[in-house]
Amino acid sequence: MPPVNRQWRGLDRLARDPAFVARASAEFPQLAAALAEPRDRRSVLKLMAAGLALAGLSGCDDGAPGGVLIPPVLPADNTVAAGSRMFATASVLGGYADGILVRHVNGRPIKVEGNPLHPASLGGTSAIGQAEILGFYDPDRSRGLIRDGEPQSWSSLLTTLAAQRDALGQGAGFRILTGAVTSPTFSRQIAALKQRYPEMRWHRWDPVCRDAMRAGAVLAYGQPVEVLPQLDAVDLLVTIDSDLLDSAPGHLRFARDFAARRNPARTDRMSRSYAIEPTPSLTGVAADHRFVVSPRDLVRIVPALAASILRGETPAGMPSWFAPLAAEMQAAHGRAFIHAGPQQPAEIHALVHAMNEALGGRGATYTLIGPVEADPVDQAASMRDLMADMQAGHVTSLLIMDSNPVFTLPGFGEALKRVPFSMTLAAETTETGGQTHWTLPARHPFEDWSDARAYDGTVTILQPQAKPLYDGLSPHALLALFQAADQVDSRDVVRQTHGLTDGQWHDALATGVVPNTRAAVSDARLKSGAAQALPPRPAGGEVTLLFRPDPHLWDGRFANNAWLQELPRPLTKLTWDNPLLVSPAIAKRLGLANGDRVSVAVGDASVVLPAWVMPGQAADCAVALLGFGRTDVGMVGQGAGYDVYPLTGGGGPVTLRKGTGREVLACTEHHDPIFTDAGDYVRQGTLAAFKANPGFLGGPAEQPSLYNRKPTGPAAWGMSIDLNACIGCNACVVACTAENNIPTVGKQQVIHEREMHWLRIDRYHEGDPADPNILFQPVMCQHCEQAPCEIVCPVGATVHDQEGLNVMVYNRCVGTRFCSNNCPYKVRRFNYFDFAGEERRPAVARNPDVTVRARGVMEKCTFCLQRIAEARIDADMANRPIGADEVKTACQSACPAQAITFGNMAQGGDIAERKKSPLTYTLLDDQGTRPRVTYEARIFNVGSDTGT
Amino acid sequence: MAAIFRPTANIAAQVVVVGLGMLIVGGAVWWWAWPRMDYVRHMGWTVEQPVPFSHQHHVAGLGIDCRFCHVTVETAANAGLPPTYTCMTCHSQIWTNAALLAPVRESLANNTPIVWHRVTDLPDYVYFNHKIHIAKGVGCQSCHGTIQDMALTRKARTLTMGFCLDCHRDPAPNLRPADAIFNTDWHRTAETPSPAALMQHYHVGGRNLTDCSICHR
Repeated sequence: MPPVNRQWRGLDRLARDPAFVARASAEFPQLAAALAEPRDRRSVLKLMAAGLALAGLSGCDDGAPGGVLIPPVLPADNTVAAGSRMFATASVLGGYADGILVRHVNGRPIKVEGNPLHPASLGGTSAIGQAEILGFYDPDRSRGLIRDGEPQSWSSLLTTLAAQRDALGQGAGFRILTGAVTSPTFSRQIAALKQRYPEMRWHRWDPVCRDAMRAGAVLAYGQPVEVLPQLDAVDLLVTIDSDLLDSAPGHLRFARDFAARRNPARTDRMSRSYAIEPTPSLTGVAADHRFVVSPRDLVRIVPALAASILRGETPAGMPSWFAPLAAEMQAAHGRAFIHAGPQQPAEIHALVHAMNEALGGRGATYTLIGPVEADPVDQAASMRDLMADMQAGHVTSLLIMDSNPVFTLPGFGEALKRVPFSMTLAAETTETGGQTHWTLPARHPFEDWSDARAYDGTVTILQPQAKPLYDGLSPHALLALFQAADQVDSRDVVRQTHGLTDGQWHDALATGVVPNTRAAVSDARLKSGAAQALPPRPAGGEVTLLFRPDPHLWDGRFANNAWLQELPRPLTKLTWDNPLLVSPAIAKRLGLANGDRVSVAVGDASVVLPAWVMPGQAADCAVALLGFGRTDVGMVGQGAGYDVYPLTGGGGPVTLRKGTGREVLACTEHHDPIFTDAGDYVRQGTLAAFKANPGFLGGPAEQPSLYNRKPTGPAAWGMSIDLNACIGCNACVVACTAENNIPTVGKQQVIHEREMHWLRIDRYHEGDPADPNILFQPVMCQHCEQAPCEIVCPVGATVHDQEGLNVMVYNRCVGTRFCSNNCPYKVRRFNYFDFAGEERRPAVARNPDVTVRARGVMEKCTFCLQRIAEARIDADMANRPIGADEVKTACQSACPAQAITFGNMAQGGDIAERKKSPLTYTLLDDQGTRPRVTYEARIFNVGSDTGT
Repeated sequence: MAAIFRPTANIAAQVVVVGLGMLIVGGAVWWWAWPRMDYVRHMGWTVEQPVPFSHQHHVAGLGIDCRFCHVTVETAANAGLPPTYTCMTCHSQIWTNAALLAPVRESLANNTPIVWHRVTDLPDYVYFNHKIHIAKGVGCQSCHGTIQDMALTRKARTLTMGFCLDCHRDPAPNLRPADAIFNTDWHRTAETPSPAALMQHYHVGGRNLTDCSICHR
């Protein structure tokens, strides 16, 4: 008997109040409310008559053979005319590249996959990387040149730039502002520009920057070295408010390496990880021990930890976990690694460097490399200089690329008015673009040549994936135009940078990696002062306000991406909104419930926004999420959420007041409720218990059944999900959305519980709301062998096939929704409206191998049937069985941590191995559905047993 | 008491009763038969095309192989339509001034594709794959009919789900030896391997071809 745990999804339902259970038990709670509205007999009859008449119409079909066929005039060079192909490039965020492959069908890019040859990806992708394809097809992308609101021709731009080249002189008033850049070509062009305009300056600004890490490295080593952890070699991981698995450059690789040591059924040296953080992060949730610590205590605890490790002191006034942790770290000499997040001050980073050195990790658990970023600067200082110069009138020409300071930096818009010539280059509509003199449309990264470096320095050439959808300019071409009048081909510029032979160039494009470009290991020596660094105490006050990027919209640049807007945030499950995350203690003090308006003031700046209670957040902390509330963005992001950037500029004490009224937020945490009396949706236990009895969490042997409906086909598809590896990052959800043409529905429909994601990640809490255990569980159609949905369908629209797939036949479905009602896992999705037709997405952006579902049709996970069908045809052509690991589902291939394994169980392989794991259990096994999806229970490496 | 109805009323009543019966029966027959008519399914209809291309002339007359134009039929889901370039490999040499071929010449000269009209159009939720059918010995004619006799291309089979299922339930009669798949003159002879032997040769029959997931995704 597995241990009975009470796992709850949201605080407001922690008590499992009877009203909630009744409401959740009804499959479509919103429908009940709609039906309760009074209707007279006459209008019901009218509706019935109209329905019958329309039903008759549906039988009408003009039968006209549809459509046209348009062959090309000339056969395309070097291409096979049909089938899908992959082209390597990279997805760049904050300057750092993650290698990707873009899948093309019939010559058009339709899906992003990870690049298995790229060190930062190894085949995995992030949610943001997956969604980039939607950004490419975004109809709101900026088009046309605009000067002071008037459309301009390309020739007038060239004339203007010619005048600029003459007027800039030595470049004293010439400034370029970008985000962080790792592109070797871009920095080479900047260097060339500096030759021509010796007095120009290049400023950098990212609202979510890594300044503190850089400054910390300078404090510790005297140079801006970067840390390159090897997490698969780490036995003891200590993270301090870290983003190691969330968003740090290389996080996909880190997740992979971390997960490799997390399942005791597959590794005999399970790692242990501690997270010390003020607000839950993916890194913290993945840890064995998570300590909730306020930032003001962190500045006290981390120096104490350093003192304890470096000088053997035993500081007083520390929490109870402090001494054992310090002892364990010392015991794990040469096997430990400490990581602090970018929100921590430089001094803490310096202390972490000193501790890592003292613990002998350098060379064993991590290495130091020279900076990957081109010409790294302190961005805050760089921006202060720029703003001062702008206000003083020293800036005569300002070129802004890949940055949106008018939105992200309070006061920049005012200063911009004093610049006589300003120009924005941006692919998307931005607030900054609306306020500079010139707005130039940039080419999307999928439309032009460029290059970028990964977290370890590896260079990837970004190659265009399609002809530009809209006329645009690449940053390289624009920089070249500031240099000289000749218009250049950005391909030549990039090619020139790397000096590769034809063969090398071809290989670099094909593999997505330029060989031997890893950054050299740095031999920097730790400065003696590093161990003495003392972080400044944060300002006092009742509330500590933290700013964090939204996990999906980031700093706001993806605000017009509907996939990312509607993606439930990993920890809050909120969509389309960014309420202020308050700790349960603050909520109690101010009497706040989820959605209550709250007014936050920092000095003079104040914002009113709804509140959201975040279990597991430090008592004094409130977290404001950046990236929402864009005003000039496009139709999707317009009006979604609240702009909290004004608060970042205010200095002074933080005050929080309860406002009046309440907002309805689109949160999916209570959607699709599943119930089992045991309450053990995510089974979990300790490593010690596992070692005593490995099968202690596994499910019981298969129950005997009167039915014998075991599929008999030549293949048997199955999936296993390792909950030890899953970090809840949502990459799988976006991958599924992209692969299967899943529509977005908008905030209002999400509130009505009509979101269409075939794959959801359930998040459970367990224990004390102030410091709960947080657990993730991806749930999709479980492909039950005894499927409850199939027996209730009156039209046979959902049936079993021989290979064990629960198949949904859209053209048979009449929309009774009985199947969804009878599904214990609540994984079926109904098209209440023509969601697909209403999507602002061109038809060419869709996956042509998957049916676009019409209104009134039920749909659900198909195990990526289109991929199975392709493999089935290939195998049949070769007269061989389908290999065990030949088919990878979209979610599986996107997962950076390899949590999902799918395959043909009839042929053995990885899937058969994983199914044999003693941790394997089935979700809701009391239902007797015999799902083809199984889970591996989560094991926590807690207590004194380090497992090493 | 005088009769309420005259004797002719009997006839009227009979006509009405019989007429109603005929209407119901006729309606039912129409409801059943109408969608099954070749007319409604556009069987045998030719579609107006920018160039009146004749398969009869090119296939039966000149003996050009199907794959000369439909190049991806063995390697991809789509058989593929020839680019204008393919037409002009011959028509830059012969019939160079034919008025009928003006659209082809203009297409190449102006780099504008020829827009052909579909003759066979499967619903979007059906995923037919040419290469597997070719690999398993289904000849072109099984679905496309006697294409070598068509001066103008027309739909020769219903291509309804019933048509597909007839073959998926029992593929044997439609299988040909590998060298006869593109042969429009082929007929079963005494030397031809038996349907059962062909089934075995092509390894057909290992899976249930009537599963929904075979064609629908």
